Amino acid sequence: MNTPADDGNNNLRYAEYVLGVLDADARAAVAHEIETTGEAATAVALWQRRLMPLADTIDEVTPAPYVWARIHDTLQLDAPARVQPRKGLWDNLQLWHWLGIGASVVAAALVVVVALPRLAPTPSVVTTGYMASTIQQDNGSTGWTATMDLQHARMVVVPATPVAFAQGRAPELWLIPAGGKPISVGMIARDKPTTLALDPALLARLGPTAALAVSVEPLGGSPTGQPTGAVIAKGAITGAPDTGSKVAAIYVQDALRTST
Amino acid sequence: MSVTSPAERDELNRLLIQTGRNDQKAFAELYKRTSSKLFGVCLRMLRDRGEAEEVLQETYTTVWRRAEGFDAAKASAITWLVTLSRNKAIDRLRQHREELLDDPSRLEETVDEQPTPAADAETSQEYRRLEHCLDELEPQQRSSVREAFFTGATYNELATRCKVPLGTMKSWIRRSLMQLRTCLDQ
Repeated sequence: MNTPADDGNNNLRYAEYVLGVLDADARAAVAHEIETTGEAATAVALWQRRLMPLADTIDEVTPAPYVWARIHDTLQLDAPARVQPRKGLWDNLQLWHWLGIGASVVAAALVVVVALPRLAPTPSVVTTGYMASTIQQDNGSTGWTATMDLQHARMVVVPATPVAFAQGRAPELWLIPAGGKPISVGMIARDKPTTLALDPALLARLGPTAALAVSVEPLGGSPTGQPTGAVIAKGAITGAPDTGSKVAAIYVQDALRTST
Repeated sequence: MSVTSPAERDELNRLLIQTGRNDQKAFAELYKRTSSKLFGVCLRMLRDRGEAEEVLQETYTTVWRRAEGFDAAKASAITWLVTLSRNKAIDRLRQHREELLDDPSRLEETVDEQPTPAADAETSQEYRRLEHCLDELEPQQRSSVREAFFTGATYNELATRCKVPLGTMKSWIRRSLMQLRTCLDQ
């Protein structure tokens, strides 16, 4: 397909489009050409074949389970059917009395009835279904506030003020069970709320005897599965709903509204 | 999961074609096999987990709606998918750029020092050919092409990051692209 015209500016523009260096207007112009002319579509496809193998070298990163749940919801797919929440049970005060017995009991129940992420919960659930933690930096100021949404098996981590990180470094959140090794909860943003899915193993360990900590790690997360950089903030987990967690729950609702 | 073997590629092609026929199981399997790669691509460009998740979600929503138009004769499924996710990530970056115009200092990030693959990364035959051709470029030009591909930066942003005039960056990239084409099409 190497006609002389191919060597002109058009072909270069298609290459630049595929590489990704064009600004918004120039990109839109090429995208329009691809839709309307076969020549552009063919040239762009050829460039994709040439350049896309570069993506082979990008490390794979497993997305959190709720991303698939959101796709599933958006497209209204019907299989596999997700577990429906049993709202009656969640409004039952007796269930929340279990909180006093121990987080592991609650977690065991959650594994059975937990729903995949859904839209923002009703306020009545918010006041009863959360645990909270204030993750403080060494200088005593609050780094992040974490709120654990037990019903939906997820945690929302909200920075109090953006924390500075060196280029190529990012905060990773860890759950530290009493007397146990840190377990990675996930990477969190330094300047805006992050929603993280909590798998059953993590849920089972949430409770007043556990703590949360933030360490400085490479962008993709700790390569070893254990903290490799400095621990810059720590916080205890509180279970009982109080004013603090209600305030945090407002953040949660805001965060969920923007993310769904 | 590796998508580098020919057998895996064929399987992905089949799954994407099935997805185009509204096969939800095939779509779920396609997501399972390719989402980690695509999420890696989005994360590398956007450098923010929440945004990468949103773009990943948009990507697969579009996959479901447009899979019918996939033609395995024109591109492999993985090329089609990576292209789609990169396009969405780049669109997102351009939106940000407009939002950031008031604060241009935020665009002046330093060049990512880790554009080369890990030595043990599993790569396809196609990548090894491309790498051979990239190796023939001048080092600065090679790193500009990689930086452009991995970060989705515009000419302007690349010039700022590499501290060279815009014209220099344009000529580096354009010359590299033409040289790559000659080398790859041999």
